[in-house]
Amino acid sequence: MMTALLVLVSTVVGTVLSSVLACLPGLHVYNVMGAMAMVFFALAERGISLPPEMVLPFMAGMIVGWSMLNTIPSVLLGAPDESAMFTVLPGQKYLMLGRGYEGAMITAVGGLAGVYFLVLVVGPLAPRFLPVAQSVLRDHMHWILWVIITYILMSEWPKGGNRGPAGWAKFFDAWKTLGAGLLTFFLAGLMGFILLYRSPISTGVAFQNIMPAFVGLFAVPWCLLNMISGTEVPKQTVSDSLDIDGDIILRSVGAGGLGGGIAAYFPVVTGGIGGLLAGHATAQRDERIFVMSQGVSKLVYYVGAFMLLFVPGLGITRGGGAWMIKGLYTPRTYGDYYMILASIAIAGAVSFLMMSPLSKLTIRLIERYNYRHVSTAALIVILAMVYVVTGWIGLFIMAVGSGIGLIPVLFGSRRLNCLGILLLPIACNMSGFGHRIAEWLHLI
Amino acid sequence: MKGFSHFISGVAAASFCPWAVQAATEGNPLYFILGGAFGILPDTLDFKFYRFFYRHDLYIQPDSLQPDPQAIADALAGAVAQAQETGKTVRVKLNTIRLGADYWQQYVIKFDSDRQEVRVKFGPVVNTGQAPVPNSQPEEPAIGRSKLACPVVQTYEATTRVDIFDGPTFGLEPDQKGQVLLHFLPWHRNWSHSFVVGAFFALVGWLIWSWQAAVVICAAYAVHVLEDQLGHMGSNLFFPITRKGRSPGLHWMHSGDGIPNFGTVWTSCLLIFWNIYRNMPNPLYHFTFLKLILYGAFIPLTAFGLAHYLLTRRQRAEKQEIDNADEWGDSMAN
Repeated sequence: MMTALLVLVSTVVGTVLSSVLACLPGLHVYNVMGAMAMVFFALAERGISLPPEMVLPFMAGMIVGWSMLNTIPSVLLGAPDESAMFTVLPGQKYLMLGRGYEGAMITAVGGLAGVYFLVLVVGPLAPRFLPVAQSVLRDHMHWILWVIITYILMSEWPKGGNRGPAGWAKFFDAWKTLGAGLLTFFLAGLMGFILLYRSPISTGVAFQNIMPAFVGLFAVPWCLLNMISGTEVPKQTVSDSLDIDGDIILRSVGAGGLGGGIAAYFPVVTGGIGGLLAGHATAQRDERIFVMSQGVSKLVYYVGAFMLLFVPGLGITRGGGAWMIKGLYTPRTYGDYYMILASIAIAGAVSFLMMSPLSKLTIRLIERYNYRHVSTAALIVILAMVYVVTGWIGLFIMAVGSGIGLIPVLFGSRRLNCLGILLLPIACNMSGFGHRIAEWLHLI
Repeated sequence: MKGFSHFISGVAAASFCPWAVQAATEGNPLYFILGGAFGILPDTLDFKFYRFFYRHDLYIQPDSLQPDPQAIADALAGAVAQAQETGKTVRVKLNTIRLGADYWQQYVIKFDSDRQEVRVKFGPVVNTGQAPVPNSQPEEPAIGRSKLACPVVQTYEATTRVDIFDGPTFGLEPDQKGQVLLHFLPWHRNWSHSFVVGAFFALVGWLIWSWQAAVVICAAYAVHVLEDQLGHMGSNLFFPITRKGRSPGLHWMHSGDGIPNFGTVWTSCLLIFWNIYRNMPNPLYHFTFLKLILYGAFIPLTAFGLAHYLLTRRQRAEKQEIDNADEWGDSMAN
């Protein structure tokens, strides 16, 4: 009984804490969890070890709460992490039509549907089927990653070249966006090689190695764009009901569950990539499905990756959260697995209930203060966070990342190409020639 | 079909080659990359290269401030007359009407063979997702009509909707019977969607890599052409041997339909999985192809269908009504 109460309280505390933190733009849950892990290690060194029934549900609550509530800055403040990049455009459309609350809540319904999907569908089936899939696919992850990279690079649509007489001028106009996308991918990939083989970040905060680059690639350009464009946010309406039905929810779960599932299972594939693949695979056009499926995808990606660590007989670790937990505790039993499933269910319910009041609070904030000022404040918070964690060198890396991240913003190409920072070096390493490229670049 | 369906079909085609799976197990991803890349290449050639060099004889640019359907109808009828008079194919490009960063004025064109006229009607303003903006549908939409100088024979669909990004092209080709054949997007699925061109790329692949790479390239390219043949437009299957044009498709599906696209993707994933499994030297688990289909397709799809039925049955009962939309997408009851 005491154990159940401990699990319940830890889950709720973790969820509430991360739900509030999720409203801060640019702050990633893995950064907070990393800091928490350092605290747990420090306590253990002093002979104070916290029971797994406290640590694991707390961390599960952190991830679920953040995955659900991070929709608020994505939709209402426009400073998304990369996995939310597909909610940005339709989400911002909702905001600009005065329906930001509705957009945020539709995404949250998707998140809640994702919790149902994980706990009621994936949860019971995973121990039986995932070990089989893993035994077949284990040696093939590298080429799957290369195939995904190939698709990302080949599937971008030319946005220009629609007017004027046929010829090279039209061709070059169209290829401006495509060329910018390719340039972004390879520059980000080069940056990834540098950070992987010769990172200037001190070893004391090595777990935050990639954070300044990610902030630069994804969060800073969006803040800058908001500040420069001087967007005027119209008055927001808080509606009593959402324009969704069972069909939309189910189709969103189908597309988002597939995308998030791919991202959670395959290494280095992120929620944004999973969302792209699932969107193309299911050929969805309805904007409500698009927005809601991103809520599903994001939750299934982050929480599903964390959950995989606990699936009995699977033995894989995916995502930053799972890697941090693995350093603290190695799950072994079905008891651990069921405890995590219960924590996910509780955290899903708590975080969904927090969604409405926190969305209303944020809307009040952006209505009271100029959107440009809110974006400026968000940028200052991000800069401060990077400086506190990684110092001046982190700010320098962030600045370089921002330069690369601004290319797709300015040329209208896909921001997903910024993920070259992870995809390129890791795919090269998985295929066994990453070291040779690093040598050729004089990094080792 | 959608690009991703073609891409994953190409990867699935590669997975049928034992050397591709063997090389991948040893760390070489080449054959699977070639499968995916050449699976999508025919559309890449059309949409990212050829269409920018395709010359048009007439550009129809509607005025975004005062869009006039009659002007568009007259221009199209004029192009048909020109084709008939000169005996030469006339290529017409219709431009889209952009109203803002995310807003486009939709308009629909219909060549009516019975009345021998072309009709143009303005519809709602749509966003880039092609979803109508609320309250933008005109109550009494303006319609432009213009008589055609000769009968026009459709080779694709009777109605063409113009809305986002790039507008369509019509190829108006006069024939011996005094009619004009209307080809939709004449630059698409022409030379690029040919088995012969696929074989040429395979030959190049052989010279660069090996005969194994050539087989993968040829298979992936051919799968794309065959899949497109299931749709309405068809392809020029043996260009340059068949220079005349596209063979008609089987009309089983539209390229953007959700179910065929998802079905292709899912089937391809299952086939890839099976081909990897059957090439494993010492598999830890044992299952048959039938079992894979049962657990990988039949049970999940049945469960999804059942859940969909349970979640939507009330809505269906409320919304059940006769579909009375005409080919313009409007209600015929008005």
